[in-house]
Amino acid sequence: MQNCTCKVKFEFDNCADKLVSSLEYMLGQITPCIPPHADSNDILFRCKAIITELLTNAIKHAGKGSTRFDVESDGSKLIIRKTDTGMPLYLVNTRNNTVPENTAENKRLISADPLSSLYANWETENHIRFSSEEGSLDDFLSVEEVAEHFGILIITNSSDEFTYTYNKTTRENIFRVRVDF
Amino acid sequence: MITIVQESPKYLIGEVTITEANLSNSDEFKAELVKLLDEHHKILILDLQELKYVDSAFLGALVSSLKYAISLKLDIVLAGLRTDIRDLIKLIRLDKVFKIYNYAEEASFAVNKM
Repeated sequence: MQNCTCKVKFEFDNCADKLVSSLEYMLGQITPCIPPHADSNDILFRCKAIITELLTNAIKHAGKGSTRFDVESDGSKLIIRKTDTGMPLYLVNTRNNTVPENTAENKRLISADPLSSLYANWETENHIRFSSEEGSLDDFLSVEEVAEHFGILIITNSSDEFTYTYNKTTRENIFRVRVDF
Repeated sequence: MITIVQESPKYLIGEVTITEANLSNSDEFKAELVKLLDEHHKILILDLQELKYVDSAFLGALVSSLKYAISLKLDIVLAGLRTDIRDLIKLIRLDKVFKIYNYAEEASFAVNKM
């Protein structure tokens, strides 16, 4: 019987020339964890998109050190966690602290074009959950309106949950992505 | 990075010769696209069949180049995409802004009919 659980740790040295080999290594670790009932092509497509963007984010923002990846599966879902000590995400400390946590007021549009709208939802001061909505193409006038930054959108659209946490004590940025089988 | 394999009065077909397109080469890729548009002033059909890995930086460079092409009243048309790259483009709805064909020949036929 196939063992659909796994726990993998991986250190990425934030070098662009190791992006593809690191991606292939992690996909190779994930493949045996996909249970038979799941659509493995779809899961691997989504994981490829997510891990590529997390690696790209590490190269751009995590600085000179290394970035830790933890991949974990319990047979029903896959969790991919990226941890680094680079600069915090630009959204940290921009929450409206005058409204209670976990309320609609803490959901804010962070980018929008005629194709998609991307939202950040502050669940606590330093914990953000991302979500997206398809835009209406009725008002689409020109390609000039289309955004050119897609990293967070790709991860959001590929996952079942995508969150970012900034740990003030350890100064760690933690991106956590869940993919359900 | 881009090799011109065919030229007609209306279009250029450029084969993208890299297999990995990401933030390490996206600026250079965009600069090549802009140069081709400036020098030839024709619709650019990009044959991407060699491409295996792309990231958001590459897709951003493609969109930025498309905006430049449109400003010149030209276009950038995509062909030969692997299934997963085409699916990635659909995931963020860029299939609504790029014309996408299975093969470069099919794209050139469509461009000629425009």
